[in-house]
Amino acid sequence: MLNFLDIFERALQGPIMTEQDFDMKVFVPTLRKIVKEYGIRYDKENPVPSNDDQADNLFEAAVALMEQVGVYCQDTNRVIQFGREEILEAVKEAPGRCWAGEGKESGVFGMRKPDDRKVPWLHVGSGIVSTAEEMMTNLIEAYGSIAEADSISISALDSVRGIPVMAGSPVEIYAAIRGIKIGREALRRAGRPGLPIMNLISTAAAAVTTIAASAPQFGLRPTDGWLVGAISELKIDFGAMNKTAYLLNWGANVGAESSPILGGYCGGPAGTAVVSTAYFLMGLLVQRGSYQLTFPVHFRHGCSTTRDVLWTVSASCQAASRNIPMPVIWLGYIAGGPNTKMYFYEAAAHLLSAVTSGAPSVQTPHPAKAVKVDGITPMEAKLGVELATAASKLDRGQANELVLRLLEKYESQIDAAPTGSTYQECYDLATGRPSQEYLRLCAEVREELAGIGIPLE
Amino acid sequence: MDKTQILENLAHAAIEGDEDLARESAEQALSNQIDPLEAVEQGLSKGMAVVGARFESGEAFLPELLMAAGAFDAAMEILQPEIEAQKKEITKLGTVLIGTVKGDVHSIGKNVVATVLGTSGFDVVDIGVDNATLDIIQEAKKAKADVIALSSLMTTTMPAQREVIEVLEEMSLRDKFLVMVGGGPVNQEWADEIGADGYGKSAVQAAEVARRLLGREG
Repeated sequence: MLNFLDIFERALQGPIMTEQDFDMKVFVPTLRKIVKEYGIRYDKENPVPSNDDQADNLFEAAVALMEQVGVYCQDTNRVIQFGREEILEAVKEAPGRCWAGEGKESGVFGMRKPDDRKVPWLHVGSGIVSTAEEMMTNLIEAYGSIAEADSISISALDSVRGIPVMAGSPVEIYAAIRGIKIGREALRRAGRPGLPIMNLISTAAAAVTTIAASAPQFGLRPTDGWLVGAISELKIDFGAMNKTAYLLNWGANVGAESSPILGGYCGGPAGTAVVSTAYFLMGLLVQRGSYQLTFPVHFRHGCSTTRDVLWTVSASCQAASRNIPMPVIWLGYIAGGPNTKMYFYEAAAHLLSAVTSGAPSVQTPHPAKAVKVDGITPMEAKLGVELATAASKLDRGQANELVLRLLEKYESQIDAAPTGSTYQECYDLATGRPSQEYLRLCAEVREELAGIGIPLE
Repeated sequence: MDKTQILENLAHAAIEGDEDLARESAEQALSNQIDPLEAVEQGLSKGMAVVGARFESGEAFLPELLMAAGAFDAAMEILQPEIEAQKKEITKLGTVLIGTVKGDVHSIGKNVVATVLGTSGFDVVDIGVDNATLDIIQEAKKAKADVIALSSLMTTTMPAQREVIEVLEEMSLRDKFLVMVGGGPVNQEWADEIGADGYGKSAVQAAEVARRLLGREG
């Protein structure tokens, strides 16, 4: 199998072209041709399709895309190319599992198939921004206290001593190190110091920050997980490759990160499904992921819960879970914010789509498109874990019916979704306890979701 | 082929993103003595407006928008020299310098806004991603920009939008440029907080805001 230095050499030697030519003369026309050749079609009536042959066909289309397009390196302006046999060999040799966590929290994050009744690896939490260390500690402690959680994402601090965090600056390094210390301390408070943190390093835009804050004295271990992001679509840069180089030398878990954009260069849902699947091949070959974190989003709406994105999630999740042994965390960006019923309708739709389509793992979805500062509470994670567990009792056909009912509840409001409340508005900052009003809303929506047939215990 | 058909073909070329048809129709326009400005305004621009509306409503996606812009440019390569030879000018709404701020390598949203601005009648200077504050200001001066449009997709790069405005003030240049901001986590509240002149939630809105800021409404 190709190793990472082989990939780097190809980034130095592949065909040279401008990024614009890669986008418009290679990526877009090839993707369109492949969508046509393989007959990939969006089915708006069935956001959770149930056809295994179509899933396998989508995988073949993704292999063809990776073979014919490759991955563009922005720093060398060259295309990293792969032969079909190299791609299939990477798939064949992929271990299909990732070892994460320490001590009693250690576990093997493995694969699932569509309609699998095994509960997925439950990843809780959020990498969105917090304005206060105390709040961040409360949040992480609460996430860590969810007994079913297998791994966690931690928040990012927005400032240090009043200085706003700026990407690539010294204060980003201070914030990253401080964030990790808070994260570990909060997990100790929850009695689970070994729980793997798998969104490292959430404050770090720059590779230097990731590498600096990963020094073991700050509390991280190779059994945590670091995100190495692809650039949309099918691109990489030296910043990401530098992270991989460091992490591979350390033997740490790399999480290949991808966010295909429906409505961007991928075009509509059919093209986005092909690209979404191809990202898992890129994750194995280029970022060298031992797991993947992916969150397809809609260009216009910035969320993962429009009907066409749900179909994209389901279709590409099925293609990957049947054919690519890469443990993937599926993350949804939700339009509705905390303390809104819409959030929970959307979260349920996303979790039902992903879990029944064979998602090895799901992350409890991000409220308010992950851009509302302090816009998250532990309640979304608690109900998210329950919803994911319930979804594992269903098959794709049942999920499809439920998702259609959920879409009826929120689809028309996507464009003007309520951004909801902040943590401080829903929780007591000192005690870390939710308000009675928020508890009532969650109880009501839970009852409503159970009422439409989601098997919540 | 009559004038109406040629103008329709120019519009169709933009709608279909067909560069060959755009060139062919532009040649036909000139050989049929059609005013090149009319070919742009009554042909190409009408097609671009259709694609822009489809993009805004979600019927068309980024590739269609960029291909339409490609067809527009292909026709302009033929029409522009004739427009200049006739000493005419396409009315430009102003010059917008657009770029993603320091530390941010996300380009797709910025590219869409640049394309929509370009096809809405603005001269657009796109300086790409990850631009240092002073570079943005120097480029804006060089381009004699009316508007500086700053894109940011990450909360940790949003402060760089504020920095551009602060440095413009420090350099006593704030009144020389209008500043617009945009990007996933950016909203009107942030634009107001940092003293930006405008914010666009979508590319089409950004073009409307730029038009309004420059007093070119309608």
